[in-house]
Amino acid sequence: MANSNSPKALQTLLAGLWKENPVLALLLGMCPTLAVTADVKSALTMGLSTSFVLLCSNIVVSLMRNLLKPHLRILMFTLTIATFVTIADLYLKAFLPAMSDKLGPYIPLIIVNCIIICRAEACASKNGLFISIIDAIGMGLGFTVTLCMLGAIREILATGAVFGKQVLPVISENWYLTGGMPNGFIPMFAFALPVGAFVTLGLILGLVNMINKKTA
Amino acid sequence: MDTLTTLVLGFLSIVIVNNLVFSKFLGICPYLGVSGRIDMAFGMGLAVTFVVTLSGTLTWLIDHALLIPNNLDILRYVCFILVIAGAVQLVEMYVRKFFPALYESFGIFLALITTNCAILGMCLFLNLWKVDNIVEAVVLSFGAGIGFTMAICIMAGIRENLQLANVPEALKGAPITLITAGLLSMAFMGFAGMIK
Amino acid sequence: MQHKTNPIILFIKESWLLLVSAFIFGLLLAGINAAWSPKVAINKENKIQDAIVALIPATANSQVAIDNQPIQLGDKDTAKISIYKALDKNNKLVGFAFTASGAGYADKIDLMIAVDPSFKKFLGYKVIFSNETAGFGSKIKEPFYRDQYIGAPAKKLTLKKVGNAKKIDDEIIAISGATISSTAVIDIFNKYVDKVKDLMTQKGLLK
Repeated sequence: MANSNSPKALQTLLAGLWKENPVLALLLGMCPTLAVTADVKSALTMGLSTSFVLLCSNIVVSLMRNLLKPHLRILMFTLTIATFVTIADLYLKAFLPAMSDKLGPYIPLIIVNCIIICRAEACASKNGLFISIIDAIGMGLGFTVTLCMLGAIREILATGAVFGKQVLPVISENWYLTGGMPNGFIPMFAFALPVGAFVTLGLILGLVNMINKKTA
Repeated sequence: MDTLTTLVLGFLSIVIVNNLVFSKFLGICPYLGVSGRIDMAFGMGLAVTFVVTLSGTLTWLIDHALLIPNNLDILRYVCFILVIAGAVQLVEMYVRKFFPALYESFGIFLALITTNCAILGMCLFLNLWKVDNIVEAVVLSFGAGIGFTMAICIMAGIRENLQLANVPEALKGAPITLITAGLLSMAFMGFAGMIK
Repeated sequence: MQHKTNPIILFIKESWLLLVSAFIFGLLLAGINAAWSPKVAINKENKIQDAIVALIPATANSQVAIDNQPIQLGDKDTAKISIYKALDKNNKLVGFAFTASGAGYADKIDLMIAVDPSFKKFLGYKVIFSNETAGFGSKIKEPFYRDQYIGAPAKKLTLKKVGNAKKIDDEIIAISGATISSTAVIDIFNKYVDKVKDLMTQKGLLK
């Protein structure tokens, strides 16, 4: 059992990371991808919350897949997802209040994150518990990693910091008055704004396209 | 007169300043999906406008009549999403019956309105902004729909022209759309601060 | 939905799973809510307490003096306000803090404003909520601008484009590139200061 399952399991896990990466390949869940990636910390929180909901909903859907009636399916999915999102939201409010304030309405918006409903429909409602869990972990991981990557790029360009820690020395104010070369990194605030989110993601998608074409 | 000014300002602010797509990143999925052709984009926009007005009003009522008085804040998300799913079902049945051609061209996107973040997002923002009268709630949700329609139509217009442009191979499709959206959002930033 | 035309049995048959799971999820949520809601409430209190401590460092304990009361700010402008008393470890009054909000550049701005016990001087403000442009308007959270309010006289303040930001008086120097956000903060101060003073005198909080 384990032997015949493990190659497929590994494949499912890896698919979520690159080939079927929810953001980069499937273009799902764009809304949080753009909205909360201004810094790594919120991106990580968002990624983990989404992964938690994805895992729970995949487990529940997979367990009840034989009982589902076709026309009530979507309703069932949304009910399950909404419940777990409420739990995640409460958890953040109770244990990470600062993060909860920062992410605000984007946590409840996990409910309508297409990744979760798409995985429930495409994987959990057709596969057993084991594969569904692996799939959720792979997809969740892929999502979290992509979010953090975007967050890191945007945070470093906007403030010269990663995870709140300064890694690039920010240029001193009025450096041009002293003459000579710029003595540090010039923060580009635009990357913390919506425009930065759109352009960074667009360029990353372009890069992914390029890599895929090279390797194909 | 004063309330009217507030309403007009609120409406304008949600349409252009706090545009859901450009400043709150809501509704990006259909924005990328159907903004290829301007007539489809317009239809989609209208469907969203209708659903968002309906569900914004309904969720506001439920929130203020049921959830807040009874201290049932915890059920907010579950209730909201069920109301939205119901409203979408209603629209879907209506469009299928009376506009079969439109229904065909929408395809999967009509059902996907349920998972359109713009709608749930708007309902949540109504709660977050502490909107406390129903007229304002209706106007704001309607404005959100109009704002979405506008964003998606502008995008569709640009994309129709983009087909004639010489876009680098790797950037074709979603990437160039996102970059365009970024430039558009920068343009819309200019409106911020216009309304106080 | 076909249950209208079909017998009730069919309805139950089709939807029992939905009903059962709605019930189970409801129980689950109720349980988790019961377990965590005290923590959420404590967090909310802590947030206010932290804001007050940040503004009035001597604070050991804070009390709600006026809770969420409507206040008339202008002709048709009313707001809800909460006023907190800050007490030091000997239970001596070290200041008051009150909530205030107004329109900013992109979104509303919520502030916590602190004043000394006699309402003669401001002790500064803390931004509770804002959505100002990063790098420009968001500088209202930074010392350059905030420090100008610490010790400023508790009366109408005026905004100046240039001047000495280090000098503490009723002239506040704007953040360059973010005049609207700077104005927004000062407007909130000016809008609230007299009215809050009146309200507090009325309630017997000021002697």
